Amino acid sequence: MSKVDVAVPVTTVPVSPRRTRSLALPAVATAVVVLAAVPFYLDRFWLTLGLFAFAAAVAAIGLGLLLGQAGQLSLGHAFFVAVGAYGYTYLAGTSRTVGVSHQGGLGLPPLIALVLAVLLAGLAGLLFSPVAARLRGIYLGIASLALVFAGQHILANAPLVTGGYNGRTVPPLTIGGFGFDDGAPGTQLLVLGVPFHREERLWYLGLAVTALAYLYHRNLVRGRPGIALRAVRDSELMAGMMGVPVTRYKGYAFLVSSMYAGLGGVLLALAFGRIVPVTFDYAMSIEFLVMVVLGGLGSAAGAIVGAFFVASLPRLLDRYADVLPGLAEPGGDGVSPAVAARFGYAIALILLLLIEPGGAAGLGRRVANRFRRNR
Amino acid sequence: MSALEVDGITVRFAGVTALDGVSFTVAPRAIHAVIGPNGAGKSTLFNVLSGAYRPARGSVRFRDVDLTHRAPYEITGLGVARTFQNIALSGAATVEENLVLGRHHLTRAGFTGTALRLPHVRREERRHRARVREIADFLGLTEVLHAPAGRLPYGDQKRVEVARALCVEPELLLLDEPAAGMNAHESALMAHLIRDIRDALGIPILLVEHDMGLVMGIADRITVLDFGVRIADGIPDEIRRDPAVQRAYLGTEGES
Amino acid sequence: MTQFLQLLAGGVSLGAVYALLALGFVVVFKASDVVNFGHPALLMIGAYTIARLGLSQVAFPLAVLGGVLLAALTGLVVQRFLVAPIASTSVVTVSIMTIGVDILAQTEITRRIGVDILSIADPWGDRVVRLGAVDVPQARVAGLVSSVVLIGLFLAWFKLSRWGIAMRAVADDAPTAALMGVPRKVISALAWTLAGGLAAVAGVFITAFPTPGLQPATASVALAAFPAAIIGGLDSIGGAIVGGLVVGLAESLAEGYEERLSFLGQGFHSVMPYAVMVLVLLVRPTGLFGTRELHRV
Repeated sequence: MSKVDVAVPVTTVPVSPRRTRSLALPAVATAVVVLAAVPFYLDRFWLTLGLFAFAAAVAAIGLGLLLGQAGQLSLGHAFFVAVGAYGYTYLAGTSRTVGVSHQGGLGLPPLIALVLAVLLAGLAGLLFSPVAARLRGIYLGIASLALVFAGQHILANAPLVTGGYNGRTVPPLTIGGFGFDDGAPGTQLLVLGVPFHREERLWYLGLAVTALAYLYHRNLVRGRPGIALRAVRDSELMAGMMGVPVTRYKGYAFLVSSMYAGLGGVLLALAFGRIVPVTFDYAMSIEFLVMVVLGGLGSAAGAIVGAFFVASLPRLLDRYADVLPGLAEPGGDGVSPAVAARFGYAIALILLLLIEPGGAAGLGRRVANRFRRNR
Repeated sequence: MSALEVDGITVRFAGVTALDGVSFTVAPRAIHAVIGPNGAGKSTLFNVLSGAYRPARGSVRFRDVDLTHRAPYEITGLGVARTFQNIALSGAATVEENLVLGRHHLTRAGFTGTALRLPHVRREERRHRARVREIADFLGLTEVLHAPAGRLPYGDQKRVEVARALCVEPELLLLDEPAAGMNAHESALMAHLIRDIRDALGIPILLVEHDMGLVMGIADRITVLDFGVRIADGIPDEIRRDPAVQRAYLGTEGES
Repeated sequence: MTQFLQLLAGGVSLGAVYALLALGFVVVFKASDVVNFGHPALLMIGAYTIARLGLSQVAFPLAVLGGVLLAALTGLVVQRFLVAPIASTSVVTVSIMTIGVDILAQTEITRRIGVDILSIADPWGDRVVRLGAVDVPQARVAGLVSSVVLIGLFLAWFKLSRWGIAMRAVADDAPTAALMGVPRKVISALAWTLAGGLAAVAGVFITAFPTPGLQPATASVALAAFPAAIIGGLDSIGGAIVGGLVVGLAESLAEGYEERLSFLGQGFHSVMPYAVMVLVLLVRPTGLFGTRELHRV
């Protein structure tokens, strides 16, 4: 085709000749290296904190995909996390009677149970997507709220799965004979002189899964699916007219994000070691939303930062309650650490939205731009 | 043998009849303009053609394929591409990303393949991005490919929209007020561009326009709507002399 | 048959209270384009204040007034200092901010209540009124009467007074209303204040019967405002009232016929509002009376 003679120059916007590189990948890669060294230096408290943070991060990345990329507001994330957690526990668990409660279980190999649990969560997401397809904006958000309450209701009426109100233990994960637990009694796993108990082993599982989850998301959003999802987010009508099958893509978004949630749920169950139904409530859905917004919508690295912040804060405040003013030690005066943590991230959310609606990722971009401009 | 056949399209919204039995045909290599006073139903027509509205009655056939009750993405898949009256670009995304969106129906990369960066996905992406760069080059957009589309001046955004429609590799191009908000010089360039596209691709182009100068200059055939009804259809000279058209425009021949 | 009438009466009076809640929620949405996730918090603030005042031997009517004023003031403060500054950003951003407000307020109130159950010291207690063939708790009757009166007053104000008309203008078409001289910020502030007050009143009746008093769990009852508003259509005042009634009736009937519905699981009545909401949304994606979006490209 011949070039059109354009008299008006189209260089009115100053732009660097190379595509601007995001600093997220190098930052995350550095973090992975640092985190890999942690079990050799830090004690069990930090490892446990990390396990919960990794679990939250994986689920948060999924919500970030749904909300930040596809623009679908979901308050039902806790439901899919529960499907993952209880799916794994039931599929891998054995039937037995503990006290007066009967627990059911299929006794499948834990790795198989994990995969099936994630698929089950994805299936749940897929089943919800026709409902989601018909709804927009806040109507979708509040409809997805129904999922959380439905989930709580189902769990309350399924003692065979949940082990009743007091919960049940989560079967440890084994992959090809290697157990992510303390190992057979009397044995010890030594790595570079450091004994690897349950927390150390699960740490690497959590780290690996989170890193893979991040990479998967990153590749997705840079490619054709990401472009299509963002078009759906910006304008469903326009996206359709540009050739994107909107309903199908909303379905994909729910499928993938609920699989992320399910995987996070499995990690959460493994981190807890024992799960109770009330954990997966409306407050948990809200917490995930806070993580994603704090981190910055649309950014997986941001979601991870937000997840680490929200998941760690209560445990950190708990650990340092004696040093921090105003915090109560168990049974003492003052504000309990859990409460203080909630104040903490609620205030962080409000302040952040007042100052930088783009979240941590937005702040990161501002810093990166300033850094680039000063070179 | 016509490329596009619009037959008896009727659209009603909450008691208002936006289009009433509108019919016309577009020849294979024609530049066909749809004009009429404000509120005549021109954009409604476009929305029917691209699948956003369901007509109460009537049909649309493109190369003998019925478009009437298909979803918008299916219509795009059949080679119908459009631009929008009020720009519908993703403002925060780069120009390149906006253009790549147009390639969606021509590419296959799925979630798994993209996430795992499989070789065939990477190859496909390279191929299509190269084509996008070609099209951007054709429209003089190479310099701003990596700029956020929302930051471009209005006229350039309109050009991005046309580029995006071309990325669809259209067999029929629908341009919704391509010269809106442009001065005389920019409109002339746009007219030039439209003719270049038709000549290079050999496809029919249907455009809605208010700018009479542009329309009279490049249209092979003109359909005139007023209050949702077709009041005239013919070559520019016939339309210029048509008394019904003159009446609809209150006796003037339109804007300069 | 009497059981049905009984449940009907209970459902209508519960529904009227839900309607008050949903009404405040919808008014805020229409006037300031914000989905206020902190609405349950407004209810809790009002109810907690009333309970505390009651414990300090303040007479019930004065305690209620105190709670209403404090909740209304909270609404005003939130609108003035948190919503108004970022009103220009997206609806989603502001709505998510209200989540932060909700967490703050509810965490604090939960902390103060602890494991106690605070009586709201209402004058009706467990007493029952006989209406024809059915026994209706006095508290429920009081709730119904108060709701009808308040909703009636609100509708009259909305339709007839200058400020009410101004609010309708803003809800309809904010930019034009601004051009016509209607102060958008004032209308918004008014809406939030009203929502706080109505939530406090609803809080009185939700706490008075049948629960022994205010507990942290009361907030999840207040959550029913969301499905009620959605069922009616988020931008419909009349819809909020209808939605509240629907939710109240559905809950009441589901609870009353629990044995017959045992296959749905125990405690299904608390999930009922959400089940009804999903059913309505499947048929009417924007609620019963909500405006269907007109797509203009």
